[in-house]
Amino acid sequence: MQPLVATFKQTPASRRIRNDAWLGLLLGMAGGLLQAIILHSSLLNATLLGAGFGLVFGLVFSKRASSAGAGLIWGLSSVLLFWFLVLAASMLRLGTHASNVMLENARGRFSTLAAYLVCLGTPVGIAMGIRGGILIPDSSRPLFNRSRAIVAGGLAGVVSGLIFGHWMWQGGFFPLIAGLGGIHSQFIRVILQFSVAFLIGATFGLLFQRDVRGYGSCMGWGLGYTFFCWFAGPLTLFPLLQRMPLNWSMDAATGLFGALVGYILYGLILGIIYATFDRAWIRLFIESDPLNREPDGPGFRLFRSLQWGALAGFAGGLVSGPFMFAAHVLSSVAGVATQLSTSSGLLVHLLVSTFIGMSYGVLFRDEASNLAMAGSWGWVFGLIWWYVGPLTLLPLILTGEIDWRISAASILLPSLLGHLIYGACTGSLFYILERAYTTKHMLDPRMSARELRRLRPVGTPAPALWFFALGTGVIIPLLLA
Amino acid sequence: MNRFIRRGFLGALAGLAAAAPFLVLSAVGVPEFAVAIVAASMYGVCVPPARRAYADGIMAAASLGIPNWGISSVILLPVLSGNHMAWDAVGMQEHFASLVGWILFGALLGGMLQIASEIAEVHYGPEAAPASPLPSKLTRIVILGGGFGGMRAAEHLEEELGNSALISLVSDTNALLFTPMLAEVAGSSLEPSHISVPLRSSLRRTHFVRGRVTDVDFDKRVIVLDGAGEKGRELKYDHVIFALGAVSNYLGLKNVERLAFNFKTLLDAIRIRNHVIEMFERADRETDPSARRQLLTFVIAGGGFAGVELAGALNDFAHGIFADYRNLNIEELCVTLVHSRDRILPELSDTLAAYALEKMKQRGVTFRLGARLVDAQPGLVTLSDGLISAETLVWTAGTAPNPVIRTLALPTTPRGAITVDSTLAVPDRLTVWALGDCAAVIDSETKKPCPPTAQFAIREAATVAKNICASLKGRPATDFHFRSLGALCVVGHQNACVELTVPFAHTRSLRFSGLFAWLIWRGIYVSKLPGLERKIRVLTAWTLELFFPRDISQTIELGAKDTHGSYAAVSRNI
Repeated sequence: MQPLVATFKQTPASRRIRNDAWLGLLLGMAGGLLQAIILHSSLLNATLLGAGFGLVFGLVFSKRASSAGAGLIWGLSSVLLFWFLVLAASMLRLGTHASNVMLENARGRFSTLAAYLVCLGTPVGIAMGIRGGILIPDSSRPLFNRSRAIVAGGLAGVVSGLIFGHWMWQGGFFPLIAGLGGIHSQFIRVILQFSVAFLIGATFGLLFQRDVRGYGSCMGWGLGYTFFCWFAGPLTLFPLLQRMPLNWSMDAATGLFGALVGYILYGLILGIIYATFDRAWIRLFIESDPLNREPDGPGFRLFRSLQWGALAGFAGGLVSGPFMFAAHVLSSVAGVATQLSTSSGLLVHLLVSTFIGMSYGVLFRDEASNLAMAGSWGWVFGLIWWYVGPLTLLPLILTGEIDWRISAASILLPSLLGHLIYGACTGSLFYILERAYTTKHMLDPRMSARELRRLRPVGTPAPALWFFALGTGVIIPLLLA
Repeated sequence: MNRFIRRGFLGALAGLAAAAPFLVLSAVGVPEFAVAIVAASMYGVCVPPARRAYADGIMAAASLGIPNWGISSVILLPVLSGNHMAWDAVGMQEHFASLVGWILFGALLGGMLQIASEIAEVHYGPEAAPASPLPSKLTRIVILGGGFGGMRAAEHLEEELGNSALISLVSDTNALLFTPMLAEVAGSSLEPSHISVPLRSSLRRTHFVRGRVTDVDFDKRVIVLDGAGEKGRELKYDHVIFALGAVSNYLGLKNVERLAFNFKTLLDAIRIRNHVIEMFERADRETDPSARRQLLTFVIAGGGFAGVELAGALNDFAHGIFADYRNLNIEELCVTLVHSRDRILPELSDTLAAYALEKMKQRGVTFRLGARLVDAQPGLVTLSDGLISAETLVWTAGTAPNPVIRTLALPTTPRGAITVDSTLAVPDRLTVWALGDCAAVIDSETKKPCPPTAQFAIREAATVAKNICASLKGRPATDFHFRSLGALCVVGHQNACVELTVPFAHTRSLRFSGLFAWLIWRGIYVSKLPGLERKIRVLTAWTLELFFPRDISQTIELGAKDTHGSYAAVSRNI
């Protein structure tokens, strides 16, 4: 009889875990080394921490890194969690739990966060993702079409750049090329703008085609990707292109907070346009094939989703109403005082909530397969609306100007929680309504198969995206405020 | 153990394990600890177990740590301890340590919950599967007939009964025919498939059976079917709904039955269209003027909705294709409508009927009012007041309930319709229901017979579905009552008559005619047409028709005259 250990060593799965652990360890060490060089910090500490992160990533998260895009999201989210862990450990060393000390400590470690994301999370995640893509057979993964990714992604990038660029042009602010002050030719700036836009769009398609499903998740991925792009672009790449020293400090980040909001909006537009092109491609070239025909046609669920979304949004508005009231945001929209009384403000709030809920219905249908997932998508939706609504659209509508300074965002922080609560309630109730309907359909074997295909399975990087988007989306304004 | 209780318990256990280090390190107080356990338990309930999903669990729970922080540390705990909520940026920053704590607690909770779930699965087996949505005893409801009434009854039953019934629909065709637009198919304005809706695709949970009813054993509750290549197939039921519709009634005129075109089915409309084109083709090479006139004379018997709409559609079609037949003279074309009464469209008011008559005359339709059709021979139609030399005769003058009803042990009226009470149940047969054209329905309020129209059949279907549910749940049944919403009829190109009942003032009606009425007709019927795809197809066809002439391609190869010298007899039997 073979010893148990010998048997364990011989299985392909155990061999893969061991190799992943080793690869993670080596990549983490290299990332730690790079970080130490950039930040001029302790070489030993940084290398050890990097190795520790890489090892844990290889053991726990690498199994989910099935492509470069998935690896990137898992890498970014796990390194963010790692940063929180290191922050908490440093507080233990200091022997205090005081918030002000921890806040100052976190602010002081902002450069470490950027370094972790750029030097550790990104390379480790992408490398493990590429390895995962090679090892995992294509038959067990969603189909990938490179042409579709480049065409749909590139088009989405350019169209988003056009919409966003025109808007930014009017404001005299080009966030994508912010920091490249050395370029004076308008033509080159525009060409550069659209080249970068195409590049972001095409890489978005190449990285995330397998993971995105509907419009809402595409927006979520757009949000996460542009958070990463903000760290990698204005904070890292652009200074390097200008031959300036890297500056990942709090002050540099505060100065680029406006660009962050711009990136986020760009990411959301990119996500929704990519989803539109991608869905159109699928509809025209894949679902139109009789071999792939589904029992129900397009548009079947749209009206129901709008109804459920309206109902869920109204309920979300009711639940979040008291919080908005307590935060004094019902009578003052986006920090701007209006003539609305509290009751009128509540009515407007409910009306807007209902309409936004309808958009949730259209964007996020079929994304959640359980209540926890529904709540999580709802949190992300709430966060998106905080950036889009009070921080961008409402000031634009009420005053004709956008104020993306951190000081303006600080005033609006109370409504962030209200938006998160609204999103979670809307997402949860929408899921319950959707579920009640689909349960009926599950009785029919044809419909049952269709419903299962619709739903997002376990194993996609969605949980990592939620954490990365929510984590950076909440932490950054809180730290910079 | 109930799966939700199990998940909640595992969640609380995992929460306890995840929060313990924070308590030990004095990083949290007892209230925060308690909130964390409750949150963990709730999270556990929401997350179904998945094997080896450590990474997913850690990240999902860590992401929930952020809103948990907002709800508990920023809002709930300050309020419970009698302080103000920490809403503003400074207040939130004061709870920054809690935010980090909640995130790390979430990550730990995710990992612990996964471990707890896997241990529980190893020791106590997988969690109990959810109860089957299918009850052990299903009520079998069989709907006979796939027309408006049958299909709508199936839809209502699907909604009303959910999973507690096994609904079957038996029909001899696999599609619902949208009859209001049938004349447009005969007039080559719409494609046949545009107005037929597949029952299999439209009904989500109803079992469709293609077949024809031959017998029903009411004592054994068994329906015998023929069709789809098999005979004598049996179908058991607990409740049966008769919605078999009506067939043409030729009033004993055997020659008319043999020679005239029917106008009830999609095939009838296709035959009529192809026959009209065939007549034009033959007339084009006919040298004898009287023979040409005979070929180009089209007689429609019956001045009700079907007859008038068909006459209008054929008149437009025939005039429209005339340009393609260079040897023909427009004077030789004649579309004649024969009606036994002195006015057409008895369902509409006098003024609208007069408008329709006048408008159709202006467009070239001729009328023989007050004349009955008494006989037909090849090339000759005999009326009570004269003869018409015509190769084409279409019968729309009478209908009768489906003849199979007379062969069943059911109470019927002299006309052959099933007798039903005010709840649409067949007297003395508690589980047998009837509706639509095959039933003699009396309105429970007005005590008047309900007309055999789709409008009434749809409402009757809803009442039957409700009453079956009531019967299954032991509740009293509802009486049927419905007032007509109005009537609509197209009389020719962009012309229609519409009479709509005024809501809450049923003795009054709104009357429209001309282009506006035609737009109302199209708007209402396209909205009633089942399925988005059909709506788009019809709207596209109508739009194309504005710019392009109607198609004269023959889709059926028609032969010469039959042994009796009739073209129509050949065409109608293809």
